[in-house]
Amino acid sequence: MLLLDYQNVLIQSVLTERFSGAAPVSIDQTVSDFDGVTFHISTPEVKTKIQVSIQIRCFPDLLRYGAEEVLNREYGSYVVPPEPGYDFSIVVDLESLPAEQEARDELIKKVSLLKRNAMAAPFEQAYQEHYALKQEAAKFTSEEAPQGVREGGEVKAIHYREEEAIYVKASHDRVTVIFSTIFREETDRVFGKVFIQEFVDARRRAIQNAPQVLFRNDPPLELQGVPGVKDTGAGEIGYVTFVLFPRHLTPQRMPDVISHIQTFRDYFHYHIKASKAYIHSRMRRRTADFLQVLRRARPDSEEKERKTASGRTFKVGS
Amino acid sequence: MSQSLRPYLQAVRSSLTAALCLSNFASQTAERHNVPEVEARTSPEVLLTPLTVARNENERVLIEPSINSIRISIKIKQADEIEHILVHKFTRFLTQRAESFFILRRKPIKGYDISFLITNFHTEEMLKHKLVDFIIQFMEEVDKEISEMKLFLNARARFVAESFLTPFD
Repeated sequence: MLLLDYQNVLIQSVLTERFSGAAPVSIDQTVSDFDGVTFHISTPEVKTKIQVSIQIRCFPDLLRYGAEEVLNREYGSYVVPPEPGYDFSIVVDLESLPAEQEARDELIKKVSLLKRNAMAAPFEQAYQEHYALKQEAAKFTSEEAPQGVREGGEVKAIHYREEEAIYVKASHDRVTVIFSTIFREETDRVFGKVFIQEFVDARRRAIQNAPQVLFRNDPPLELQGVPGVKDTGAGEIGYVTFVLFPRHLTPQRMPDVISHIQTFRDYFHYHIKASKAYIHSRMRRRTADFLQVLRRARPDSEEKERKTASGRTFKVGS
Repeated sequence: MSQSLRPYLQAVRSSLTAALCLSNFASQTAERHNVPEVEARTSPEVLLTPLTVARNENERVLIEPSINSIRISIKIKQADEIEHILVHKFTRFLTQRAESFFILRRKPIKGYDISFLITNFHTEEMLKHKLVDFIIQFMEEVDKEISEMKLFLNARARFVAESFLTPFD
């Protein structure tokens, strides 16, 4: 349970149950996911047609970076016009399911990855851009490369939460992913710093091939001039930069890397919260210990329990 | 226990034992009610000289005796930001439960992290040497607890970071 799943478990379980051959029932369920994403699973017309809709706050951003192609590629024939109030909908007909179990599981998996696939579009585009730039750059030596090749592509901003965003930038030898994350309270900020420090150090210590992780409180140079990036100067916002190197950028590894990096923010905050909870319960236990010590100071804790000759105990009323 | 901690705690223990010599005393200003003189500070003649026992600049204990009450304030070691946060959280946790701790002051005095107020009623009800034991044990364990929590946090952070980055390898 250390790493977060990429798919939405609730959608997965609902569909698994429906696909198992049970009698069709009408469904009307709203499912929440990370980053304020909402799903709606329903059977609007007949019980055998399950509609899954997703509402995602950064959908206009995603559309701009090619979400439509990605979603059409993934869901193809299942795509229907979006349900009112939602951004994207698919319909699965229980009567025309694939016959084999594996294909069904595959379909369930695909539907439960709806959020991941929608969010993957800018990353995929950055990958393609990286390949193009790499080819371009191969024609030049590093000094004489034209400005456009050296600088890399434009910064893609995904404002997936109210005050937080992911920025993706491709260049010929790397893809940079920057998460801006906000710490509401001092404790979170300090804990976050400890965690990030370990992310930064992990590469040096144990995992040499991991992406480089950088952290700073002011916007990194890559984000200069990007609209919506502001420096509050208060240190509330942190910028976590992942530098993906060519070994992470092979087409074979693309799906895994994209899925994994998307979970970073949730994973990070989840563990900060979990540490806080643990420390809280630890303090509670320690406080109980102290109380025990203090209670010993009261002299009236004489033995109240007496034994009869047969060994039974009874209490003397105080 | 480290070499410098033992004499420090010993000094606190002796000073506390000597200072915990309280008697019932009716206020000279507030209608002969018994009020903790160290808090009221209305009659200077019943206040005794405050005493500070310091281990270093970051760790010290202030003992303020008076005729019917004594105030003990502890400054807990805070080497960095994390320890500062942990100490703050922990002392807040304790002071919110001051009701069940009897001798705990709800608010620490300025410059210290946690304060205790022992009155003559407490020493009448409870065993004096056990009260001293409590304060000493508290001082010992608080440091231990804070450093353990810090170690835990670092260990968890390391583990979490490594398991996130391993799939990239």
